[in-house]
Amino acid sequence: MPTVTFLPSFRKTEIAKGSTILEAAQKAGFHMNVVCGGQGKCGKCSVMVRSGDVEFDREKYGGFFSDEEAVQGACLSCQTRVMGDIRVLIPEGSLVQEQQILIDIDTPGVPLELNPAVWKYALALSPPTLDDQSPDLTRLLWGIEKSGGPKEGSIYAPLEVIREIPRVLRESGWKITATVALVPGGFRLIHVEKGDTTAHRYGAAVDLGTTTVVVYIRSLIDGSIVGIGSNYNRQISCGEDILSRVNYAKRGGLGKLQALAVESINAALTTASNSAGIDREDIYEVVVAGNTIMTHILMGIDPAYMIEEPYVPVVRRYLTTAAQRVGLAVGKNSGLFIFPAVSDFIGGDIIADILASGMAETNDISLLIDIGTNFEVVLGNRDWMFACAGAAGPALEGGEVLFGMRANPGAIEQVQLDLQTLKPSYRTIRNQRPKGLCGSGLIDLLAELLRACVIDRTGRINTAIPHERIRQGRQVPEFVVAWKEETGIGKDIVITENDIKALIMSKASVLAACQTLMNQAGIGREEIAQIYFSGAFGNYISKDHAITIGLIPEIPVERVITIGNGAIAGANIALLNRRKKRVIDEIARKIAYIELNADPTFMDEYTGSCFLPHTDLSLFPGVEKMLDQCRIVRELP
Amino acid sequence: MGLSTLSEWTGRIGELVIGASHAEGGTRSHVVRIGGERDLPYIGTHPSGHKPLVAYELADDPSLWPAAATRYIGDWVHDTADWAAYAEKEYTPDLIRLHLTSTRHRGFSDTSRIGTTIESVLQATRLPLIVEGSDDPAMDSAVYQKIGEAAEGERILLGTAEAGRYRSVAAAAMAYGHSVIAQSPIDINLAKQLNILLRETGLPSDRIAIDPYTGALGYGFEYSYSVMERIRYSALKGDTDLAMPMISSATDSLTVKEVREAQGSEAEKTAVAWELYSMLPATIAGASIVCVRHPLSIAGLKSAIDSLWNGENVEGV
Amino acid sequence: MTLKPLEIYKLLPKKNCKECGDPTCLTFAMKLSGGKAKPEACPYLDENAKTILGASTRPPVRKIRIGVGERAITIGEELVQFRHEKSFFHEPGIFIAVNDTMTAEAIQERVIFVRDGILTRVGTDLRLSGIGIRSLAGSPEPFARAVGAVESVADLPEVLMAGDPAVMEAGLFVCGNYRPLIHAASPSQYREMCRLAKKYGCPLALKADTLDSLAELSGHCTAEGVENLVLDLSSPSLHAMLNASTAVRQHAISRTTPALGYPVCIDTSRGGHADASLITGVTKFGSVLVCDDLPEASRKAVLVLRQNIYTDPQKPIQITPGLYRVGTPGRDAPVLLTVNFSLTFFTLQGYLEASRVPCFMLIVDTEGLSVLTAVASGKLHEALVRDAIAKYGLAGEVSHRTLIIPGYAAPLSGRIEEAIGWKVLVGPRDAADIAEFLEKEWKT
Repeated sequence: MPTVTFLPSFRKTEIAKGSTILEAAQKAGFHMNVVCGGQGKCGKCSVMVRSGDVEFDREKYGGFFSDEEAVQGACLSCQTRVMGDIRVLIPEGSLVQEQQILIDIDTPGVPLELNPAVWKYALALSPPTLDDQSPDLTRLLWGIEKSGGPKEGSIYAPLEVIREIPRVLRESGWKITATVALVPGGFRLIHVEKGDTTAHRYGAAVDLGTTTVVVYIRSLIDGSIVGIGSNYNRQISCGEDILSRVNYAKRGGLGKLQALAVESINAALTTASNSAGIDREDIYEVVVAGNTIMTHILMGIDPAYMIEEPYVPVVRRYLTTAAQRVGLAVGKNSGLFIFPAVSDFIGGDIIADILASGMAETNDISLLIDIGTNFEVVLGNRDWMFACAGAAGPALEGGEVLFGMRANPGAIEQVQLDLQTLKPSYRTIRNQRPKGLCGSGLIDLLAELLRACVIDRTGRINTAIPHERIRQGRQVPEFVVAWKEETGIGKDIVITENDIKALIMSKASVLAACQTLMNQAGIGREEIAQIYFSGAFGNYISKDHAITIGLIPEIPVERVITIGNGAIAGANIALLNRRKKRVIDEIARKIAYIELNADPTFMDEYTGSCFLPHTDLSLFPGVEKMLDQCRIVRELP
Repeated sequence: MGLSTLSEWTGRIGELVIGASHAEGGTRSHVVRIGGERDLPYIGTHPSGHKPLVAYELADDPSLWPAAATRYIGDWVHDTADWAAYAEKEYTPDLIRLHLTSTRHRGFSDTSRIGTTIESVLQATRLPLIVEGSDDPAMDSAVYQKIGEAAEGERILLGTAEAGRYRSVAAAAMAYGHSVIAQSPIDINLAKQLNILLRETGLPSDRIAIDPYTGALGYGFEYSYSVMERIRYSALKGDTDLAMPMISSATDSLTVKEVREAQGSEAEKTAVAWELYSMLPATIAGASIVCVRHPLSIAGLKSAIDSLWNGENVEGV
Repeated sequence: MTLKPLEIYKLLPKKNCKECGDPTCLTFAMKLSGGKAKPEACPYLDENAKTILGASTRPPVRKIRIGVGERAITIGEELVQFRHEKSFFHEPGIFIAVNDTMTAEAIQERVIFVRDGILTRVGTDLRLSGIGIRSLAGSPEPFARAVGAVESVADLPEVLMAGDPAVMEAGLFVCGNYRPLIHAASPSQYREMCRLAKKYGCPLALKADTLDSLAELSGHCTAEGVENLVLDLSSPSLHAMLNASTAVRQHAISRTTPALGYPVCIDTSRGGHADASLITGVTKFGSVLVCDDLPEASRKAVLVLRQNIYTDPQKPIQITPGLYRVGTPGRDAPVLLTVNFSLTFFTLQGYLEASRVPCFMLIVDTEGLSVLTAVASGKLHEALVRDAIAKYGLAGEVSHRTLIIPGYAAPLSGRIEEAIGWKVLVGPRDAADIAEFLEKEWKT
């Protein structure tokens, strides 16, 4: 078998001849950037082959590289076959980098109430005597009742716990702590241990995302946050996007995906519990919010049928089981609560968003938007809710944009243009020299180019403007955001007309989805009390600019509210307040899911939205006024 | 009771003038006005606005023109000015629409000849003129500049602006006082977008005619028909970005399978039927100018429009 | 007027009892709004809700059937003024007229022409609908003979056109059991005509000078017990006809004048411009169109226009997927991939035929979506192309391995190439450029 040596680390691995460099890199433990899932489409996994024999169709994929890069042996790792021993350099940019994982919670609408579903009772029981021959379990349950806990007869004790009882009671000298949880079947004795451990009562809230996993450990005594952990979802090695995961599961990989999901959660749990200095065994409930596919995989349910018509999930109610049954490393018999899913695309993460926003508990009508590669939109209030989901395409996250990148160090995250000179001023993540543009930077740039009249409302660059930053690119016109000398990549960073079109098509999907829901409900933008943005994308973008380009309907900007990571926020709320679990189920039942593809007005709305901000300018009166001002400014000189 | 149509419209279609008389600095014997309607087409005891008009289309290079159209005209087609004059005299269309098909040859560069052609056509006919320029963005600027210049003062209708290429046409129209045809591919949103883009170049709304693109009968005509109805409806409902008169030409009518496969004189009749059966519905959907390529279509369309307009019972042709 | 789901939801009991078969009142409301459920499915509607929901779902234009058997037609049941608002549902019947001064042979020749004439387009057979029989002689016997001549060769829907009830009765005596349209009752003889309509169970056309008297007449006829009515709006003036038919449709669908809630009949021979009358009738709300002999070119054009106007605008016409030939392509001929949206297919086919390059068209099933929307919605994907190539045996038809895909499908080129193992050429976005593209780019 050929040996592949990776530079600069000199990490080595052996792999079968004919395998791809990508496979070798993954085997060696590198987290490669494979946005397209290894189809040779995204160009993000490029490597430099320094020596050795490989097969790579340079003609076909030549467009990804400059001549200079080609001379240095640049290849797409996913399309390059290892034919013998080779040495390969993996550039930093081709590895998945530590990115800002959004762990923040911001839930203004929902005061956190503490009504956990787990109680601990420290009991000093009187030992049995010949006069008092009541059994161990009865004795224990009576003790609980006497301490103000549930009635003896209402607590169910599972066999695993009963087995422990005689030993623990006697070894502890009848001084024990009993843990009781309220589960769908009623009260349940989940743990018995020696001594008084009532100070250690914790729960974990988990956001199981396609890309990242976030864990919060909370004290169930006072609700305080004791530890936070986050990391990548290790399933990434089986494919970057959700569809590739489902395909992986289809090819017999469900077991591996399930194990990786658990591993990822456990790793984050370990980080969080270590940082807090607590024992994972003291975590008595785990609440997980995730998208439909992720939660199905976590439960070991085959997700394959969900991505085919008619897109039905297996379960549309919350699920509970013992956390250990799926492999989570928490207390024995601890409960696992999984948020319900509504459809293939409206999963528990969205239900958690809704819970976190508080929109299901008020008469005000709100719009909730969660944007990633896919987006979800929910419209409604306490009485009714419509939801839909769609594909926004990767452009808003920097994918399929020439100099697009994720929100990694060096990404331009904010841009402003001087309307007179067209000189951009920008800010990058960690103030490094710019390497590319991430989602929030792209939105800024789009809005600023429109304001400066560099692009028209369809996104075409006005090449008639004589300016050094406006030039004809290889195929289409482009605008130079940063000159080669300023950047960290030795190339001019530009945005091309094609990039702009891709961005407009992405934003149009989101706006058209909002408009379609509003049309279905017969709601005008004036009737929307709040727009909630959930997720990383919404957290970092400029709200003003999101309205300027028509990503979301125009409402007063102060009523656009970011709720941070809504999935983890919702999971926290449900963990701390068991009464919210009923609200969760009601939300899941209440939502009417609208299939955009089947809605005849959606295509119309989409075409109307492929314009900055929208073809119907009366939907964006504030933006129109502002753009009129800008046109005057531009025409002055 | 006096039952009649129910009209609850608030909008009005803008008025567009084509051609300039001597008094206005041009050389046209008459100018035409289109638009101005406040109701659905032909509706009302006295319909509002202006009656729909029929334009006859011809080409400066007849080799790139449907045989069904040129065959009937005969030798006149070899001189564009003669062709226009002959058509005006024999078939009395309301306007002439000249397609500069010569610009479609690869490597075309002789813009001065375009100028000569337009000047000679302007001399040969007194009818208001619609001129269609190149269909290659690379030569737009030169071609439209030339057309605009050659027809300066004649207030022609200049085609065609599209979303991807509108600046050159708009610039030429503004520089030389012409109007612009704004063509979009059978979609009300795209039509509206282009109007907004044109307005933002500084071109006034009353110098835009919407061409929502018309598919031939049986080949997508129904989409065009409904888009025209929707545009008219939205305009009457008060959408000023769509309140421009429309122009419709079922461009491919004479090359559809039904015409190509018809034998002998039936081909001629089918060609005329195909134009009539798409262009008359186009006026019913809201088109202010309908364009035909077969000369025999003109009289039938005009008489039908007259009857729809004021109830004159004109004998069919 | 269709109510929006939320407007309907507000009328529902909001119990989410599931007795209608839907999980929630809101999803039931969505179905009601889309016409996919009936209000009766909800057992808890109050009277107010029933009235509103009932009114919003009953068609405002009465449904009428003419004729019997497989060629019988249904008209009416229309809901909208513009086809883009939803769709026009029942296409108008086009009736070719004969009269009782013609010989039996001449009548039969025309009837056979209507009976057998078929124009096949987009996989659909387009036909003329039936026969109008005019009384010109003015007496019962010739009329009965003419009706008999029609009946002797075909079971087509008929319009019996006689103003004299005695003449009409003679015709009905021959064909009254086959549900012809009785044309027409007028204010002076409607009682007699109503009697005949009831006796034979036939629909009845009404004629009057103004819309007001027409509405009044329809009131009289329903009072007589005849409810299957058709309003004749024929006029020598196209302007008058168009205005009248527009007014009737507006009054009907807004339910302001229920007495006008009936289909419209137009005799196109009343004006001098039969083609224009037909066009106006087809586009603007005519349901029964009678015309004298129709020239071949007009016949084709009107059938296609009717098909166009009565296509559901939300459901594009689809072409059967498969391998189509343009000219007689050889083994080295180009293969062009496109979708099964009829407009796309015909446009491309037209330009290919004009290019005079024999070739293959590989049509894949995108459920009638255009290239752009099929790519956007994921309906066009590499597996579809791969399967189509296998299914239609493309590899056996050509000696090369190159596929030309539409310009708008360019984002899929890599994936298609990989899936099918053929070379993929990205063609132009506009079919009009295909000739030039083939000339420049096509070499095997």
